[in-house]
Amino acid sequence: MAHALDIHSGRNRLSVVSHLRSAFFGAFGLAVATGGLTAGLPQPAQAATPEACAALQAKYPDLKGKTLVNAINPHTPGYETIDPKDPTNYIGFDIDLGEAIGGCLGFTLTYKAVTFASLLTTLQAGQADIVISDIYATKDRAKAADFITYLKVYDGVLVAKGNPKKITGIDASLCGAVAAENTGYVEVPLIQALEPECKAAGKPAPEILLFDNNANCIQAILAGRADTYINDVNTVDGAVKAYPDKLEKATAVTLPYSVGIAVPRNNIPFRDAVMSALGELQKTGVQAELMKKWNLPADQLETPKLVLAD
Amino acid sequence: MDLFLHYLGMPYLLDGVGYTLLITVLGLLGGLVMGVVLAAMQLSRFRSMAIVARAYAIVFRGTPLILQMVFCYNALPLIGIKLSAISAASLALALNEAPFIAEILRANVLGVERGQVSAGQALGMTPAAIMRRIIAPQAIRSMVPALGNEAVSALKNSSLASVVAVQELTLRSTQLASATFDFFSIFFASGLMYLVLTGAIAVIQIVVEMLLDLDRPPPREQLRRFLRALVPGRPEAVPALAGAGEGDVTPPDVADESVAERVADPLPPVVPKPASVGRDPAARAARLAGNNIAVEVKGLRKSYGAQTVLDGIDLTVRAGEVVALLGPSGSGKSTLLRCINRLEGWEDGTIRVGGQSLGTDENGRPLSPRLTAQMRASVGVGMVFQQFNLFGHLTARENIAGPLRWVQGLSRFDADRRCRDLLERIGLAHRADALPRHLSGGQQQRVAIARAVAPAPTVLLLDEPTSALDPELVGEVLEVIRRLAVEEGLAMIISTHQLRFAGDVADRIVFLSGGVIVEEGPAAQILSAPSHPLTVRFLSSMTAE
Repeated sequence: MAHALDIHSGRNRLSVVSHLRSAFFGAFGLAVATGGLTAGLPQPAQAATPEACAALQAKYPDLKGKTLVNAINPHTPGYETIDPKDPTNYIGFDIDLGEAIGGCLGFTLTYKAVTFASLLTTLQAGQADIVISDIYATKDRAKAADFITYLKVYDGVLVAKGNPKKITGIDASLCGAVAAENTGYVEVPLIQALEPECKAAGKPAPEILLFDNNANCIQAILAGRADTYINDVNTVDGAVKAYPDKLEKATAVTLPYSVGIAVPRNNIPFRDAVMSALGELQKTGVQAELMKKWNLPADQLETPKLVLAD
Repeated sequence: MDLFLHYLGMPYLLDGVGYTLLITVLGLLGGLVMGVVLAAMQLSRFRSMAIVARAYAIVFRGTPLILQMVFCYNALPLIGIKLSAISAASLALALNEAPFIAEILRANVLGVERGQVSAGQALGMTPAAIMRRIIAPQAIRSMVPALGNEAVSALKNSSLASVVAVQELTLRSTQLASATFDFFSIFFASGLMYLVLTGAIAVIQIVVEMLLDLDRPPPREQLRRFLRALVPGRPEAVPALAGAGEGDVTPPDVADESVAERVADPLPPVVPKPASVGRDPAARAARLAGNNIAVEVKGLRKSYGAQTVLDGIDLTVRAGEVVALLGPSGSGKSTLLRCINRLEGWEDGTIRVGGQSLGTDENGRPLSPRLTAQMRASVGVGMVFQQFNLFGHLTARENIAGPLRWVQGLSRFDADRRCRDLLERIGLAHRADALPRHLSGGQQQRVAIARAVAPAPTVLLLDEPTSALDPELVGEVLEVIRRLAVEEGLAMIISTHQLRFAGDVADRIVFLSGGVIVEEGPAAQILSAPSHPLTVRFLSSMTAE
């Protein structure tokens, strides 16, 4: 049934651009835009709808034909970045998964690129309808949005080549080290929680440098400002692949979280629809195939469950 | 290097430049519109408007732009206003720019000499006309550099729109860096793009400054100056190429000044009028006594705070009469003149000019500044100031002809004809196209007198017209006063320290001290046989100088 959904339809035109473009010309009539903007409107994911998806579309007819906004932080290679070959497209596992869910439910997605810290505020403000952006579903974040999980979390510990500080994970080896993290990442409180342990051992607490995208965190290690960057293992692997002479992965750690799709809190039909569609994609093996395409380990796959505020 | 060039030409980033420009332009335009409103509110005579504008400035100048961006994008939807990313970012940038632009506008409006505003008022120009004809042209010239700065800073600030998902250059650069790991090539490329944009603004600023330059040189010299302005740090030396064989090149400014000083431009010879020959004071006094009352001051009292400046002045001046106000500095002469023209208010007493009370309607209620200005023009009160107060951006010709068109509504042809006639009579026809700053003090005051006389007022007030002049320039100005005003039969009140001139032209001398009239009488009598000890002391100290 893998053929049921065209997973390669993920050449997602950055339709934000075409929106902006019409605003641009409407407001100004200036032909500033030269290339790249000439692409057309978002193409619907051409999914040959299997029966289950047809049933879901019948159950949630409101979604059919809609264009929804997916807020992403496109700084996570493998999950979501722009396509370097055609930067008006976004590519990655999350992008393909979102398209597949949309294909199943009959909606198309456009993308809104924001900082990681404003993913959920953008959703709350109604500027986006859904967030599929490698965001970990925690109880805290569930106060801002409902989460539907789809992956287990494995973190990698990115360090300079040779691991000069001998960092072994989110543990006492971080005492006195400098960690680069993104604002709003779940690793931040975990690292901060080491302080009493470090103090007890007579060592200084870990220092955290906060940035707002992966590239800056990686640059912090390359520039010697930070000793480690602990984040999604696939991101860490990507960084090591890009700078094999300068970076390495010290170790991988498991975190007690899952990666989740965030949807607005008060829209239960939409949440149910997304969760059902995700379940279908897992059942038919589409998600596994996408994970393979983007080099994610197969055992990261997780059966959808809800993470809601208490 | 290859990568750098690749990213430099990448359409994705170039489109980002388009969004950066769009937000910057929208933000600056919005900021300009709101800035004009805010500046007008702050300069308004209504205090509550100024307070509102000030409060706005405190909030929007005092909070970071990044918060304002997030607010416009994420908080406004909570109250039902959902703006697109571009609109939200442009709005935030405009909200943020407005108070800065307002301050630039306000400072440059206030920077125009107050004397020029007084001169405009005295000529009967409405506040709107003064703003449009006098203040705005000069303020706009002087605010160009500050606005250029503001444009550059807005352009750079537009990068903060990346936090609200606007696909501008900074956001696209970081996204590209995240996807490719080509951190440095990308940021050098986008840095260069920003430099080109800010460089373009600098060039626009230079061109605008040159176009607005009142001493605009011929096009070839202009191009040379433009190129010179692009290369910083080079002094404005005589160019080596042009210097060969013509070492005596004098910059136009200096040339003008030295000409002004060197060439004595004598007044045209007097054509004696029958009336001015064989003046008999007694007969003239008798004739004047039958004339209408031009100015009538009754019980005028005025104080600045606790200090009383005018303490019960009564003065009547008849049509055609020339009254000289004498008195030590601070005796209230200038204030009296400014009150007669309604440039100042007062606490008690009445002033009627041509039978009308300037600035109040028939029921004594105060009129708006606009109606007061119109009344001033219709009654016909001209004023000449100690500091000349010529409009700095206008030529001698336009200083005279402009107000005739704007206030009296003359056609350009008629205004120019009247102006030419006056310039010939004051011996400055050849300087008609000179700016005030290229005229000597005496020449400026001669133009100012011609300007005041041009609309044919019934009353002319002269506030120490020669006090700011070098001694050798006093004579020419007094001669112009004599020819344009005295011989035309205007009622005239002149405050002066020139005793001989006063004795020569004045029918009556009024001696002021401490805000009261100490002594008054026929000119000859006061000068030769003063009765009050203060007058005696003042006159003897003046002649001793």
